[in-house]
Amino acid sequence: MKRHQFFVAVFVVLNILSSCKKSADTESDKNTAKLVFYFEHFADGKELALDEMKYISTAGNQYEVTEIQWFISDITLNKNDGSKLLLDDEKFAHYIDTNLPETGKWVVTDAIPVGEYESISMIFGIKGEKNKQLMYTDPPENDMLWPVNLGGDQGGYHYMKLNGFWINKEDQRTPFNFHLGVGQEKDADNNITGFIQNWFETELPASSFSIDENETKSISIRMNVDSWWDKPNMYNHDEHGGKIMQNQKAMRMGVENGRSVFSIGSIASVVAE
Amino acid sequence: MKRFVTIGIALPVFIMLVIWSCSSDSNEEIKVESFNATPYVIPEMAYFPKNLNIPANNPMTMEGVELGRYLFYDGRLSGNTSKDMLMSCATCHIQENGFEVGLDHPKFIEGKTFGLPSEEYPEGESTPNYMLPIVNSVYNLNGYGWNGFVHESNYLKGSSENNVPSEEDFHFKNIESFVWMAITASHEMNSTIEKSVAAIDAIPMYKPKFEAAFGTEDVTYDRISKSIAQFVRSIVAHNSKFHKYLRQEAELSLQEKKGHDLFFSEDADCFHCHGGSVLMTTNQYFNNAKDVTLNIKDLDRNSITGDPMDNGAFRAPSLINIELTAPYMHDGRFKTLDEMIDFYSEGLVYSDYVHPLMKNVREKGVQLNDEDKAALKAFLLTLTDHEMIRSSQYACPPALKEWSGQ
Repeated sequence: MKRHQFFVAVFVVLNILSSCKKSADTESDKNTAKLVFYFEHFADGKELALDEMKYISTAGNQYEVTEIQWFISDITLNKNDGSKLLLDDEKFAHYIDTNLPETGKWVVTDAIPVGEYESISMIFGIKGEKNKQLMYTDPPENDMLWPVNLGGDQGGYHYMKLNGFWINKEDQRTPFNFHLGVGQEKDADNNITGFIQNWFETELPASSFSIDENETKSISIRMNVDSWWDKPNMYNHDEHGGKIMQNQKAMRMGVENGRSVFSIGSIASVVAE
Repeated sequence: MKRFVTIGIALPVFIMLVIWSCSSDSNEEIKVESFNATPYVIPEMAYFPKNLNIPANNPMTMEGVELGRYLFYDGRLSGNTSKDMLMSCATCHIQENGFEVGLDHPKFIEGKTFGLPSEEYPEGESTPNYMLPIVNSVYNLNGYGWNGFVHESNYLKGSSENNVPSEEDFHFKNIESFVWMAITASHEMNSTIEKSVAAIDAIPMYKPKFEAAFGTEDVTYDRISKSIAQFVRSIVAHNSKFHKYLRQEAELSLQEKKGHDLFFSEDADCFHCHGGSVLMTTNQYFNNAKDVTLNIKDLDRNSITGDPMDNGAFRAPSLINIELTAPYMHDGRFKTLDEMIDFYSEGLVYSDYVHPLMKNVREKGVQLNDEDKAALKAFLLTLTDHEMIRSSQYACPPALKEWSGQ
């Protein structure tokens, strides 16, 4: 009898213990999977080498990249029936910084329904209605501030800071800040009369995938840096100089080129350890 | 009876197992002395960072902060009791100067500090660099010092090769670390831990303060460093005119607003390194185009990271209270705000290590006219927190006026 009581007690304890674990087998997790995004930066078809003056843009500018800091937001999975799944809407934006390797990964919190997905789309930067002034209080995100005097209430943060050097017409290594964010409309006296949202949505080519129950899919999103200065606009640093935050013409060229900047690096199943 | 014994043993084991199974993954043991002290809460202010640099082993308490304030202002921390040989933290960190020494100190001429006299340095050894603001340190998670050498990740931890004692208390880890460094540095208090602890232990008024803060009257180095660090973390500047402007509690004048817009644009382009938050610093490290050649004596950011791009790079300090914290730059080369503004306007020089954010370096600067410079200066003057520099919360306790070494 005592032996029987002991086994009952062990059974109860084990049941309680297992009930406390964060199990992948709970009802809500059925028919779902997980997604992890990785972010990579390429130039000339290879992984970007920082601080090396070895790249040539389409306009003939020799350049090097020191750092890239940018926001991706509203990643959306599109199904062929037209339905869309907006991922991690509560967080909505993810900051990526070549100086901070840990930012190169976004583990999606939302459970992903299993099935086929036709494509992945994303916002480069942050949509105006979500890009609120001073919404980030802590680094590193708050260091991306796009001042209110340059972007209004819906221009809270840079979409991207891409900093580096190019060899200018005088053959001098010269810094450039290819910073994208909200642009300004100006009158004849150069007074700001309005603001222009420069964020854009892009559907990543060759981004279809399927995902099975309990599977974790790893998807790398690649920024092809040289494409910022390629087409449809051949962007010349000699023409636009080192700073463009207050130069909507240059920013517009950048964001128009930006639609072909992003691609899928790889899509793979993560093998459980 | 046996059944009760069985239950008496099984029940706690059962509860322990349940607690263990439901607890978080972190089982890191944190050394915190248990006592009944009152938690000290850094006031939450609009737009200020939420992540605070408060180590788990040194939670802030009202009693700890108060003890720290006394020790901060007590020149006997230097191990000396002779009034002409006192040095406290407050000897150089002077509240009315934004907790810096300032330009007008009668002894530290033009802000150049030095340590207590020794046989080798009868006039006191010069401190290698000029001072950095300690205000709002609680919001900094990116290292302390001009090159960020005081950081959890510092590779100098416990390395006898670098004359760093191996005990954890003496690592270059956090604000606490500055206490042993200040006590033992030949260019500061020039004392020993033992001498300084003994000097504080001999002062009767401290016994109840240590008891209130840490549970017993024992005076130890660990408690001294922790309480001083708590006081330093409590020093926050939330109420400059600029902060109030952001909170819509104050208006900027037309000139100040013009300076604000210059600061927060690529016209003067201060904000990429100093803006982004209400701290007026990114707490990042930049080569800001001061020199064509590197000074090999400078312990720059490269001395910590080994990254060639960090050559000649130093912290972008907070600009809060900037009008009080001259001289400027790690080597104190600029004595006035006007000189500093002139430098960024037309004094930049190129080197291969200049940070790309100094994008106007080929034009020697941002090229401001006199009106712009005046406006920028007017805005910088709105960054002074007059309430903080007058607050009794941070002031020298009356009992220590004659012992502060100020």
